[in-house]
Amino acid sequence: MKQERLRLVLRDLAASAAFGAMAVSGQVPAWTVLIFALALGVALAGKRPLADGRASAGVLLVVVAFLYALVAMEQLDMVVAACVTAALLTAQRMLALPGPRTDGQVNLASLLMVAGGAALSADLLFAFCLLVYTVLAVLSQGLAVVADAGGRPPPVRVVFRPLVAGVILCLVGALSFFVIFPRLSWNVAARRGAASLGPASAGFSDTLRLGGVGVLKSNPRVVFRAELNPDPMRDRLDGYWVGRRFDTFDGVQWSARGPSTPARREVHLGPLGAGAVDQHIELLPAYGSRTLVGLDAPMVFSAAQTHQGNYSSRTDLVRHADGRVQVDGPGNAFSYRVSSMPERQVREVGPEDETRQLALPAKLDPRIPALGQRLAAGATTPRAIARQLERALQSSYEYTLELPGAVKDPLADFLFQRRAGHCEEFATALAILLRTQGIPSRVVVGFYGGERAAGEYLVRAGDAHAWVEAMVDGQVLRLDATPPQNRAAAAQGLTAWLLARWEALQIGWLERVVDFSLSDQARLADRFRSTGGTSTGSAWRRPDPGVWAALGALAAVLVAIAAVRFFLRTNEVQHLGQALARMLLASGRLGPDGWLDRARVSEPDLEPVRRGIARYREARFGRRHLEPGEGRRLLRDARTVLRAGPRSLPS
Amino acid sequence: MSSWPARLRRAWRRFWVPPRRLRTTAVGRTFLVLTVGIGLAALNTGNNLLYLVLGLQLATIVVSGLLSEQALRRLRVRRVLPESPHARLPFQLGWALSRPVGHGFALSVHEMHPGLESAVGRLAWLPPGEERVVRAQATVGRRGPVQLTSVRISTAFPFGLFIKSRDLEVSDELLVLPARVPAPAEPPAPASGAGSEQRSLRGPDGGGDLAELRELREGEDARRIHWLKSAQLGTLLRIERDAQPHPRILLHLDELASAEALDRSCETLAARAEALLGRGAEVGLTLSGGFSVRPAAGALQARAILRALARAGHGASR
Repeated sequence: MKQERLRLVLRDLAASAAFGAMAVSGQVPAWTVLIFALALGVALAGKRPLADGRASAGVLLVVVAFLYALVAMEQLDMVVAACVTAALLTAQRMLALPGPRTDGQVNLASLLMVAGGAALSADLLFAFCLLVYTVLAVLSQGLAVVADAGGRPPPVRVVFRPLVAGVILCLVGALSFFVIFPRLSWNVAARRGAASLGPASAGFSDTLRLGGVGVLKSNPRVVFRAELNPDPMRDRLDGYWVGRRFDTFDGVQWSARGPSTPARREVHLGPLGAGAVDQHIELLPAYGSRTLVGLDAPMVFSAAQTHQGNYSSRTDLVRHADGRVQVDGPGNAFSYRVSSMPERQVREVGPEDETRQLALPAKLDPRIPALGQRLAAGATTPRAIARQLERALQSSYEYTLELPGAVKDPLADFLFQRRAGHCEEFATALAILLRTQGIPSRVVVGFYGGERAAGEYLVRAGDAHAWVEAMVDGQVLRLDATPPQNRAAAAQGLTAWLLARWEALQIGWLERVVDFSLSDQARLADRFRSTGGTSTGSAWRRPDPGVWAALGALAAVLVAIAAVRFFLRTNEVQHLGQALARMLLASGRLGPDGWLDRARVSEPDLEPVRRGIARYREARFGRRHLEPGEGRRLLRDARTVLRAGPRSLPS
Repeated sequence: MSSWPARLRRAWRRFWVPPRRLRTTAVGRTFLVLTVGIGLAALNTGNNLLYLVLGLQLATIVVSGLLSEQALRRLRVRRVLPESPHARLPFQLGWALSRPVGHGFALSVHEMHPGLESAVGRLAWLPPGEERVVRAQATVGRRGPVQLTSVRISTAFPFGLFIKSRDLEVSDELLVLPARVPAPAEPPAPASGAGSEQRSLRGPDGGGDLAELRELREGEDARRIHWLKSAQLGTLLRIERDAQPHPRILLHLDELASAEALDRSCETLAARAEALLGRGAEVGLTLSGGFSVRPAAGALQARAILRALARAGHGASR
């Protein structure tokens, strides 16, 4: 009974892991998650309300028909509908009367969910769920097969031993098949899936409204990753990723308008010169926007690809009048190349731009120009004024993610009432103060920083940032009034460390599994060929001596464990025989020849002693090994009865 | 030690017989369909995660083969045959399974004989170094020796996707005795059928003349008590008869009758012989083929006669 309960719990948990593999895509409808969670709870509580499966199967059929009607009306994705069907089927079977056949059905329906998850998601969590599903499904299915054979079932640990070996072999085999199975479709990049759990969160929109939500700062999801050339080789990048610029402020929100250029394969925003930095950027599904970003002052955008569903394709780019560059067309994820110049080398601006960048809101609080005057006092050049205003805001105002609520003039509220705000309020205040001093300025939104992982820089939603570009002496001067410690994502300490490790795993997963391609297979084959000595092996890197040392150490440990186990087993048998002989000699039940077979142990209460002798003979001569600790138990029992037993010996 | 041509013939036969047989279960068939489906989906879309799931499924099939092989290897089997199975009556067929090392799981055993394949013994666990006996109820339609040549052992372990079977060559003979039928009320006339009786009984108990009455000792058969005298004397008295020989009856069976008629005759004679032996008679049997069982009394004689009747018509194996 206990074993049956264990089998069912393992089966239901395997099903929940399979459902998780699907649900991490974030595309499974909430009502399906709710129904499955409910079914899982009921099943884990040991209740099987759908013992008569006919009525529930009828209901299931109706729901499935409804789902596929939605698919026919293009209201639901076909793959999602299939996944939901598998989830409902699994839930129905989980609540049916348990039995080996039902167990098989639950595991097969769960396998369908895993396949659905593979089609929907590319998240690392999928790998975790797949692993858990494999382990639990193998164990539960093995127990089900043994239980189906009837009779007294063996102890669980006895069944688990070969099953655990089976799990390990399954996983190794799966990886081997994965590597060697030829990628005949030539589709080198798999589906990026959706934004995983939760909505996409780049935070870009057509306007920037003050008093907006500040929770982005604590959002740890990676929204894009970038490979830089030349690589600055820093753990933490001190760089600004430009998304879009706003130059018109109406007192509450920033905007930028203008005509767009036709879609092109390459977009040039300015000339490239010495010191350009090339970047290969992949915007992940969590990014949730089509606006491209680039380091410092992006100049050339090119080689854009959109990853939609199971295929990738080249796509065009559109340049907007505010300098924003967008991908032309929808997609789950995008990748592109961008070349940037350091911002100090960029020259701007046309006369009409300057007019917009000097315009003040019509209802500007009169205290603001006065404040600008006061803060800029003493500075003589525009550059000095700009730097002085930047420093004043950094030092006199505090950073907070708490919202001011509904206020009529959020800028005045920030500068004179709360004296605390987040990066958008700092940037707005600096831009308007600069304008009051006659310096053209605009607000830029994008990202700040980036963590290095696996040779790339990861940028999170929490790295979203706003700053200011001022036009000084015909050049762009970047100013950031936000206190430096509050510019990047808020995650710190252990959380940050864990996130970094997770992201490194995620990158490895994406590169080595999700994007594994025919060319990778060819490279791998090349490596093996070169180790055979038939090639010069330029691509083959001889493994580090440390790797050989680790492999050697592992082999030595395995050999040592095997030797110790063999020794202990042999030794335990010998010890059992010798100890029994000593005990029997001491109690006068064994002759001087020491033959255990001739021991006088015929009394009924000396059964443990006879059992010990029999097991010794079996283990020594019959190859029926002692179980771990069995020798010790046998000796203890024999000692107990010999001490307590009758003193009179049989004649 | 058999001759080299016989060994060569065995080797040749073994060459054409696969060492293991594999059969898919319902779950296994669905699993294979899913594997093909996911494989096609992976090839069509190039989705690497589908390739990963496909790899897992293929590995599962391979591991299933490895673990089931491990469960079937090194198995030893010994038949535990019933003493006196009768045709058309269910009896327990047993197999003693053992293996020196390694555990066996979810094993099922049956005979590779057309009439006995439905009798399947099941065993959830076979620990190493122990012998476990599994039994199944079997029924054989006709009397006679049944040559058992091999036993098939199967397992669905570990995943229940496939049932792998292994045939072990174990030769035994199961002698099925004639079916039990009611004994005829009167002995058949000598010319009335395939079987005949040479001499009929005189007395109801087959005993001789009354010799004496003596006190019944502890453990003696109460049926021999003389109740009238016992009641008169107030103590239990036992009848002692002269050592007169029991009635001697020789049954005869004509083996040349048709198979069905012969079976019926054997059944009738077996019932008759058991009834007569039960009443203390000495019963013998002669067969038209020349084989005979000398008249004698007792349970062992009943067994000898039944075995002879079981073999009647099967000549060579007496």
